[in-house]
Amino acid sequence: MSLAWRIARAELRGGLRGFWVFLACLALGVAAIAGVGMVRSAIEAGLTDQGAVLLGGDAQVEFTYRFATAEERGFLDQIATKTSEIVDFRSMVVSGDAHVLTQVKAVDDNYPLLGSVQLESGDLATALTSSDTPGAAMDGILADQIGLKLGDSFKLGSQEFTLQGRILREPDTATGGFALAPRTIVKTKDLAQSGLLEPGTLFDSSYRLLLPPNADLAALQTEAEAKFRDSGLRWSDRRKAAPGVARFVDRIGAFLILVGLAGLAVGGVGVAAAVRSYLEVKIATIATLRTLGATGGLIFQTYLIQIAVLTAFGVALGLILGIAVPLALAGPIQSALPFPAQIALYPRPIIEAAFYGITSAFLFALWPLARSEKVRAAALYRGGFSGGWPRARYALAMFALAALLIGGAVLLSGTANLALGTAGGVIAALIVLALAAWGLIRLARRSARLKALRGKVALRAALASIGAPRAETMQVVLALGLGLTVLAAVGQIDSNLRAAISRDLPTRAPAFFFVDIQPDQIDGFRARLAANLAVTKVESAPMLRGIITQINGQDARKVAGEHWVLAGDRGVTYAASQPASTKLTAGTWWPDNYQGPPQISFAAEEAEELGLKLGDKLTLNILGRDITASITSLRIVDFSNAGMGFVLTLDPAAVAGAPHTDIATVYVDSGADPGAEAKILREIATAYPNITAISVKAAIGRVTEALTAIAKATTIAAMATLLTGFVVLIGAAASGERARIYEAAVLKVLGASRARILLSFALRAALMGAAAGVVAIIAGGIAGWAVMRFVMESPYAFEPASALSIVLGGIGATLLASLIFVLRPLASRPAQVLRSQE
Amino acid sequence: MTETVLALEDAWLTLAGNAGRVDILKGITLSVGQGESLGLVGPSGSGKSSLLMLMGGLERVSKGRVSALGQDITGLDEDGLAKFRRGRMGVVFQSFHLIPTMTALENVALPMEIAGIKDAFPRAKDELDAVGLGARMQHYPAQLSGGEQQRVALARAAAPRPAILLADEPTGNLDSVNGAAIMELIFGLRDRHGATLVLVTHAPELAERCSRVVRLVDGRIDGAGA
Repeated sequence: MSLAWRIARAELRGGLRGFWVFLACLALGVAAIAGVGMVRSAIEAGLTDQGAVLLGGDAQVEFTYRFATAEERGFLDQIATKTSEIVDFRSMVVSGDAHVLTQVKAVDDNYPLLGSVQLESGDLATALTSSDTPGAAMDGILADQIGLKLGDSFKLGSQEFTLQGRILREPDTATGGFALAPRTIVKTKDLAQSGLLEPGTLFDSSYRLLLPPNADLAALQTEAEAKFRDSGLRWSDRRKAAPGVARFVDRIGAFLILVGLAGLAVGGVGVAAAVRSYLEVKIATIATLRTLGATGGLIFQTYLIQIAVLTAFGVALGLILGIAVPLALAGPIQSALPFPAQIALYPRPIIEAAFYGITSAFLFALWPLARSEKVRAAALYRGGFSGGWPRARYALAMFALAALLIGGAVLLSGTANLALGTAGGVIAALIVLALAAWGLIRLARRSARLKALRGKVALRAALASIGAPRAETMQVVLALGLGLTVLAAVGQIDSNLRAAISRDLPTRAPAFFFVDIQPDQIDGFRARLAANLAVTKVESAPMLRGIITQINGQDARKVAGEHWVLAGDRGVTYAASQPASTKLTAGTWWPDNYQGPPQISFAAEEAEELGLKLGDKLTLNILGRDITASITSLRIVDFSNAGMGFVLTLDPAAVAGAPHTDIATVYVDSGADPGAEAKILREIATAYPNITAISVKAAIGRVTEALTAIAKATTIAAMATLLTGFVVLIGAAASGERARIYEAAVLKVLGASRARILLSFALRAALMGAAAGVVAIIAGGIAGWAVMRFVMESPYAFEPASALSIVLGGIGATLLASLIFVLRPLASRPAQVLRSQE
Repeated sequence: MTETVLALEDAWLTLAGNAGRVDILKGITLSVGQGESLGLVGPSGSGKSSLLMLMGGLERVSKGRVSALGQDITGLDEDGLAKFRRGRMGVVFQSFHLIPTMTALENVALPMEIAGIKDAFPRAKDELDAVGLGARMQHYPAQLSGGEQQRVALARAAAPRPAILLADEPTGNLDSVNGAAIMELIFGLRDRHGATLVLVTHAPELAERCSRVVRLVDGRIDGAGA
C-alpha cells in the first residue's frame, strides 16, 4: 500500500464531517442528470416497445387531401393481413348556439387495429353504434366545453350525431402531432351526408396495416414507394413509429440534461470551496508532513486520493437518488406523460451521469488541491498557504478535464450546438460572475471607508466583511449567481415567447381562419361578412395542398435538406394576376390568361434558404398528380402576423380542374363588442355547416399551453440548479459560522446590541444576494436575448417583472441561508467565545 | 476613600462543563476605587480572567451582585450589558481579538461608532498615532505583527476614554520588548485619562506597578488585599 494511500486512509478515519457540502453538491447534480436521463430512456423504450400501438398498426400509409385509389388500396390489402382506414380533419361541433372546433377522426369497423380507445365508461364500438342517429365519442373536455352530456345530440357539418362516449385516451397518438383542438371520433360511413368530405376539403387519410409476422418492413416500404412513386404516398412503420415525438423527447431531454450540467457547475463551486476549506483546516497536518520530509507530490497524492474517495461516494449517492426517484414515482410520471414510458433501470443515463459527476468533481477540486503542494513547513508557525499559482501541469490537467467534460456533453447530448452553447454560456457566466464578485469585494472595501458611512456600524461592518481578504463573497456570488442566471435566462425566454405570442400577435392577427369553403360558397360567405360591421377585412384565396417532391428533377430533400417547406404537404394557391399587396423581389408575374407551361411565384426568404433561384423547376404532387413548374418570380411573404401566407402560388392554368376549396382570414375591429366574434362564428356555422372556423385566440391558447408545459419542465430543472446553489450558500454560511461567532463576540464586547449585530449580518447577506441577482439578470438577459435573437428569430424585450423576482429571490436565498447560522453567534456569550480563542 | 467604580458582593460563577457543573468563582467580594490600578494575580485556572469578565459584564454572575460606576449590572441581559459598556469600559485581551475583516483604523473607530460618537475616525487616528501605528492604519490585523495588533487593541480600548480599563494578560502573547512597550502604553493611558485599571497578569513585575494586588486561588481571594 502506498504511503499516500496510508496517510489518506488515516485522514479519512475522521469521517465525512465537513464534507456534506461537497457530497450534497455532487449528489444533487448527478441525481438531476441521472433522473432526467432515466425518464428520457424510459420514454425512448416506451416508444420503441409500443411503436406499433402508437402507430396504430405495423405500418401506415398516409395521403393528404384524398383517399387511396383502388389500385393503392388493392396493394395495401394484398400485403396486409388486416387494414383500417382513418380520416382526420378539423370541423365544428355544433350544439344549439355553440360552435366549437374539433379534430375529427373518422374510422372504420377495424379501428383500432392495436390497443384500445379508453372511454370513461363503455367501449368505442358500442359508443359508435347507430340508433336514430349515428353515435360518436368525444374528448371529455370538449363535451364539457360545449355542454354536452351522454345521450345529447350535436352536428358535424349537416350530420347529426349522438354523444355516446367520453374519450380518456387514444392508443394511436404517434402521428397525431400537435392538435389544435380536442378529439371527436365517428364512423367514416356516418359522414356520407355531412358535406364534410367533399372534393377539395382538407383532410388526411391513413391506412393502418397489420402485417404477417415475418414481413420485411424495409422491403415493403421500398416496394410501396417504388410502385406509387410521386403519388404523395407517405410510409411509416413501427421501426420508427413516432419520429416527431422521439425527436422532441430527445431534444427536451438533451436540453434538460444541459441545464443539469449547469447545476453541476454550480455544485462545482461548492466542491472547490469545500476542498479549499478542508485543506485550510489541514494546513497544520500538511505543514507537519512537510517538516517530516514529505514532498509536494506526496501531499498532492494524499489529498487527491481523499477527494477521489469522496467523489465516488458523492456520485454513488447521486446515482442512487437519480435512480430511486423515477422508480418511486413511476406511476405519477407515466400518467403525466402523453406518451408511453417504461420506467426501469437503464445503464446509459447512469453511466452518463457518473461521467459528468466524476469529471466535474475533479475539474473543480483540482485547483485547490494543487495548492496543497504549496504549503510550506513554516506554515506551522506562520499559518496559511503561501501565495502563487499552481504549477502548469495542473492547469493543463484542468484544461484536459474541461475539454473532456464539454466533449462528453457534445457527444452524449447529440446536439453539438446546444452543448457548446451551454458550455460557453456557463464559462462566460462564471467569468462574468467572478469579475462581478471581484468588483463587489473592491467596492465593498472602498465603501466601508466612505466618510458618509461613518457611524452606520451595521452597514459598515457588513461591507467590511464582504470586502475582507478571504471572505466567502466570491463563493456566494459564483454559486448563487450561476443558479440565478439559469433561472433568469429561462424566465426571460419564457416571458418573451409568451409576449410574442399573446401580446404582439393578436393585434395584427386575424380573428378567424375559415377553411373548407366550397367554391360556390365563397361569394355568399364574403357577402355575409361584408354586411357585418365588426369585420374590418376579409382575405380569401383558393387553396390546394401539395408536396414538393423534386427540385430540378432531383429528390427535393437530397437537394435542399430537411427544410420545413419540404416536410410534408404545404398549402398551395393560385392567382391570375399579381395581388395588390404582393411585392416581388425578383422576376415577373405571369401575364393575364396565361396558358403556357406551369409557373410558380415562390416566397423569397424560403427560396434563399432552400437555395432556389429563378428558373429552377419544382415538381409538386397535388392530389396524386405531378405538376412541374418553373419559378418565375420571388415575393415577400410575412408569416409573423398569422395572416394568409403561401410559399407557393401557381398560375391558374397549372391547376385547372383540380378540386379545391377556399381559405379565408377574417379581421375583426379590436374595439368591437366582445360578443362580435361569437356572432360571426354562429352566423357562418349556421349558414355553411361544412365550413370550419379556427379561432386564432383559441389556437394561441393551445400553443401557450404547450409552452407552459415546456417552461415548467425547464423551470424544474433550473430550480434543481438553484437548489444546488442554495446548498453551496448554506455551506458558505456554515463554514463562516465560526467567524460570525467571533465577530459577534467582539462586537458585543465593544457594546453592540444583538439587534445591531443581526442587522449587520442580514445586510451582509442581502448585499451579496442582491449583487448575485443583478449579475444574474444581466447574464440571464444576454442569454435570453441570444436565444430569442438567434434561435427563435424573434425580437427581445427585457422583462422587468421576472428580473425583479430573481433579485428578490437572490436576496431571500442568501438571507435565509445566512440567518440559519446567526442564531449561535447571537446567542453565544462573548467571554466563552473569546476565552476559547486564547 | 475614593469613589467605588466596581463592586462585587458574594459573586459566584458556575459553568457547565463536560464533567458537570464547575464553580469557577466562589463568593468574591471586592471593590475597586476610581483611579485605582488593581493587579489580579494567581495560578492558572484560579479564576482571574473570569473575575475580569464579570467586572466587564462579559460574563454574568450565577449568584451575588456586580455593580459598576454606581449601577447594579447584575440583572442586565446581553444587550443591556453591551449598552452599558459603551464608552465606559475598555477591554484588552491576551489574543487581541481584533475584527479580521476590518483595518486597524476601522477596528479602533468601531466602539466609538457603536457608542454614537461623531468624530470616531479622527479620534481613532489620533489614538493610533499615540500608540505609534500612524503609518499602519489601513492594514488588516493579519498584516500586523503580534505587538502591533496588541497596540491596535489597546488603542481601541482607550479611544472612547472609558472610565474603566480591563486588561487580561495583555502581554501574554508578546515578547519581552513588545510586552514592556505595551505596559508602558497601558499605564501611560491610565495616567493620562485617569481611568481605573484592572490588570490580570502572571508577571510579578507588572503586578508590582499596580496600586493594589489581589491574589486568587481556586476561585477565591487569597488573604488580605480585598
